Amino acid sequence: MDPSSSSSAQSVTFYDFLDRMRNPASLDLVRSIKSFIVSFSFYTANPENDGKRVQEFYLTMEGAIRDHPLWVGATEEEIDSALEGLEKYVMTKLFSRTFSSTPEDVKIDQEIYEKICLLQTFLRPEHLDIPVVLQNEASWLLAEKELQKMNTVKAPREKLLCIMNCCRVISNLLLNASMSENMVLAGADDFLPVLIYVMIKASSPCLNYQKKFIDLDTWKSILANPPQLHSNLKFIQLYRRQTKLVSEAAYYFTNLVSAKTFVVDLNAKSLSIEEIEFEENMQAARLANKVPQVEVSSSSNDFKALGDVRGPGPSGRIHGDGIHTSGGYNYPFMEAEADDLTVGDVERLLRVYKDVVSKYTSLCRSVRHISLTKTVPSIPGSEGKNVLLTCPTEKSTSIDEKREDDRGSEKGLPGSPGPPGTANDDLEKGLPGSPRSANDDVQKESARS
Amino acid sequence: MGCSGSLPDRNSGRLSGINGSESSGAPDAKNLRVKLVLLGDSGVGKSCIVLRFVRGQFDPTSKVTVGASFLSQTIALQDSTTVKFEIWDTAGQERYAALAPLYYRGAAVAVIVYDITSPESFNKAQYWVKELQKHGSPDIVMALVGNKADLHENREVPTQDGIEYAEKNGMFFIETSAKTADNINQLFEEIAKRLPRPSSTS
Ligand SMILES: Nc1nc2c(ncn2[C@@H]2O[C@H](COP(=O)(O)OP(=O)(O)OP(=O)(O)O)[C@@H](O)[C@H]2O)c(=O)[nH]1
Ligand SMILES: [Mg+2]
Repeated sequence: MDPSSSSSAQSVTFYDFLDRMRNPASLDLVRSIKSFIVSFSFYTANPENDGKRVQEFYLTMEGAIRDHPLWVGATEEEIDSALEGLEKYVMTKLFSRTFSSTPEDVKIDQEIYEKICLLQTFLRPEHLDIPVVLQNEASWLLAEKELQKMNTVKAPREKLLCIMNCCRVISNLLLNASMSENMVLAGADDFLPVLIYVMIKASSPCLNYQKKFIDLDTWKSILANPPQLHSNLKFIQLYRRQTKLVSEAAYYFTNLVSAKTFVVDLNAKSLSIEEIEFEENMQAARLANKVPQVEVSSSSNDFKALGDVRGPGPSGRIHGDGIHTSGGYNYPFMEAEADDLTVGDVERLLRVYKDVVSKYTSLCRSVRHISLTKTVPSIPGSEGKNVLLTCPTEKSTSIDEKREDDRGSEKGLPGSPGPPGTANDDLEKGLPGSPRSANDDVQKESARS
Repeated sequence: MGCSGSLPDRNSGRLSGINGSESSGAPDAKNLRVKLVLLGDSGVGKSCIVLRFVRGQFDPTSKVTVGASFLSQTIALQDSTTVKFEIWDTAGQERYAALAPLYYRGAAVAVIVYDITSPESFNKAQYWVKELQKHGSPDIVMALVGNKADLHENREVPTQDGIEYAEKNGMFFIETSAKTADNINQLFEEIAKRLPRPSSTS
């Protein structure tokens, strides 16, 4: 299940690559790799330029490897393996410099993520005219999981592999449906909508929180690592070896780019839905993702009293339909039992408590004011405020920290190429997947095939 | 919309997941690998043409990839060269029309299909030709295909119109039927002959 070569061969490859790099005979190659990696710290990130430099480096190294004594008589496959190892090594080292490296990329990721969070509150397969026979929960879940893995791996090849696996699940679903359900195979007409739907589901943890009440820690970790669709695609495009982003891999990659583009440009006309219904749903979703300042649980008597006294007015709309008052989303502890709470929750609990009290107080004041003057006051602070954990600014730092924890620190890299004797040791220490995690990869990949 | 009777036979091709070694067949002057996109109005028969081509060309030695929307098929020409067509099916629904450039970027071949019983589809084909002339690769090989030739009693686009339009625009023209398989192989063979043959193509 590998876009370029068989999976077991691929993992052996990375060991093989490292082994050969530790061989004293390859010191010249190690030096080139190290000085290339170090050279990146001299410049600020410039994705297009960086992509070109890395691609050129792959080609230069390909030449060097082909001519190298260690690869004398090597087959094309062995050369290819070495180059895959090279890509993984270099890009894991350069990951934090090259992945989502500009403020624009961060912003685009955030915008896509927010749009998907809105869409997932109401989007149904029918809106994309996905035939019922293709609405296969199990297959879709599998495809989503494959796609979500893209956020947990670093090497461009591995990220691309996640896309391939996701798309193959969908493709097989279509083929199976056409064989067993007597459905006529409609090719891309069916493939793309399913991919779009799967992509949206795979990228919207907010849905899971509301529906399944996952625990707070899981929820936090999801929020700390929102899917970075745009950055992942850009990273693959720029840093996957160009000769490998072809054929089926390129086709599926393009389809995901296409799905992303569709979502970015999506409006009512993109879906089988009434424009009014679409706008209402989007608006409701926007409200549900915020904690309006004026809001109090709709069961509050004071609130009802206010509604009665106030009558219709410009601010009446805010309260009118009550959609935004539902769920543990705005008041996250409403569903919790005392046992669920941890010490870590106290801070937030206190904040929410203060928030509620101050709203309640100002509400009471308003109600008194109304009963005295019989006029409709404007409610203070009604613009609402985004209190949810999704604060974008915190995210980028926590991702990097998380990733470095996950996959061995990148700090093992020396600031400059070391003396000859230590170069190989450095290579070993600074390895992206030290033996243990490389081994995990082997298992993961063979499980997949 | 689909192609009744054109389902891929489980045995005729391998499911896409199994197709392992794209790296092995490095393209050279004798063995071309070309990206082919299909464009045209919804329902003109694009998907059927591809399935017919990939399924109909039954040769146990040829490596075939039958995905639901990405298919590849290699054909051997008389001069002992081979051409591996990598066929990119595109979603035809109107809501995806704006995404087409993502698919035809870098394509070596564009097959633009219309339905001979539908003048609108012929107009749409002309739109795609112009679009590709503006935004496609400059050396792209374009074929104009009038499909559903089996429905000649309902014909509304005269063959002559297709021929003339194709000639004016330097395209290859053919009428096909994905239903009867008429001219389907010829279509791909003719395209293969027209491919530029530089020392390296991809
Ligand atoms: N009679 C006849 N019917 C055909 C022929 N080719 C396709 N069809 C029918 O036309 C319909 C549409 O064919 P598709 O191949 O799905 O059309 P498409 O161009 O892929 O359509 P989109 O994917 O929506 O853009 C199907 O019902 C086919 O059975 C043909 O040569 N003759
Ligand atoms: Mg089609």
